[in-house]
Amino acid sequence: MSLELLLLCLLAAVLELDTTYAFQLTLSRGIIAGPIFSLLTGDYAAGLQVGLFTELLFADINPLGAILPPSAVVCCAIALSLHALGIELCYAFIVAVLGALFFVQAERHIRKQRVRLLVSWEKRIQQNPDSIFRFLFLELGACFLINFVIISLFVGVSGAFMRWLQPFIPVKAFYACQFSFMAVPWIGLASLIPEFRLKKR
Amino acid sequence: MKFTEQLGLFVRSFFLQTWWNYQKYQNLGLFFVMWPFVKKLYRGNEDGIPSALTRYLSTFNTQPAIASFCFGALAKQEETIAKAKNLNEFNEEVLEWNSIKQGLTITTASIGDRLFWGTLKPLTLLLGLFISLLLGIHVFELQQEETIPLMYAFAGGAAAFLAFNTIALFVKWEGIKISYETPSNACFGLTKFDWNRTIYNAKKIGLALTVGLILMGMYYYLRDFQQVPDVHFVTRAILVLFFVCISFLTHRLRIPNIYLYLVSVVLFNLFCYL
Repeated sequence: MSLELLLLCLLAAVLELDTTYAFQLTLSRGIIAGPIFSLLTGDYAAGLQVGLFTELLFADINPLGAILPPSAVVCCAIALSLHALGIELCYAFIVAVLGALFFVQAERHIRKQRVRLLVSWEKRIQQNPDSIFRFLFLELGACFLINFVIISLFVGVSGAFMRWLQPFIPVKAFYACQFSFMAVPWIGLASLIPEFRLKKR
Repeated sequence: MKFTEQLGLFVRSFFLQTWWNYQKYQNLGLFFVMWPFVKKLYRGNEDGIPSALTRYLSTFNTQPAIASFCFGALAKQEETIAKAKNLNEFNEEVLEWNSIKQGLTITTASIGDRLFWGTLKPLTLLLGLFISLLLGIHVFELQQEETIPLMYAFAGGAAAFLAFNTIALFVKWEGIKISYETPSNACFGLTKFDWNRTIYNAKKIGLALTVGLILMGMYYYLRDFQQVPDVHFVTRAILVLFFVCISFLTHRLRIPNIYLYLVSVVLFNLFCYL
């Protein structure tokens, strides 16, 4: 993995914290994360397009209650990393969407496992409330590390696989993937109409 | 509430969800936000701290941007608890604290989810998309070799970021102050804003923008086909229309877009080989 991709994974792991764990300044939205990642890859058009498409595709799932939407940051990071490795954007996007779905499952599993750890932390905080700052850094550090490992592993493995697979993909499949990639904004916009449906005040 | 106290709650509120968990949700986050305030309140009278610790570490879950209304109201009630003259009064105020927390978390979660996630987030996305199109970037169908200036790539995102955060941070900051100063019979200042009207108007703008963007996208497609539309164009238009219709249907069936996209990949591949 090149230095720029490693930096991209590091940046993605940091931005992913914004989704839930810290700030929630919406830096983790596709429309913002996509162009930020493109600063590292150099392809601004791809960054903007992937960012917008990701957000339009995920626009119908919101983090209400315990719902965990697919991560736009992870999707943008994987798509742009694979594209930087020479994979066509339409293929990279499919892998990225699958990657975002995989990340949600991993995140859900980690959250379930984390409950036990947090119960013990809670007891320690009750004994010494001022220690909460230490646990803040511990939690953020652990989350960042887990994010980084998952994203970089996925980029590394899927990148190598797609580079091997790409020459064997027939032209017809390329056009089909290209067409479904182009259908993304339309699918997203169409789903926004019911989202904005007007109810009685 | 002093400015420094408000600032402390505001800054710490950015970490409300750091310890989010399936058991007690944002309980540790609430404790992190409120701890300096509580600690200061019980300085010199540390008997009240164990009870406060138990209360702040109990279940708490709301929308993070509007949670500030809970912080202000709970801080005010905590002051009343700290001033309790006897055990009975203390218990009554603690009960009141619990009912405030329960009532406010549900109300703020409902308003916050509808306003921030359900309306403002998609609305600012459309704003970003609209700005990109205005700048002449045809995001619906960018060519592989196409290059765009750096400023243009960030314009849409920056607009969405500023629009969302201006409102979210305003609510976050003002919510602390308003809920602290307003009594419970005035719903801790939540009624100062006409949330339903705001959401309704924002949704109206969102609907207009969505329809406008669909028309703009169609114009960009049609612009390239100035002569009689060819077979390629008709096929493409029909398939896109098909997916737009299917998208309405899947929304009704609560099937996420992401699965519709993955199905479209499979379908288009099958279509190409048939």
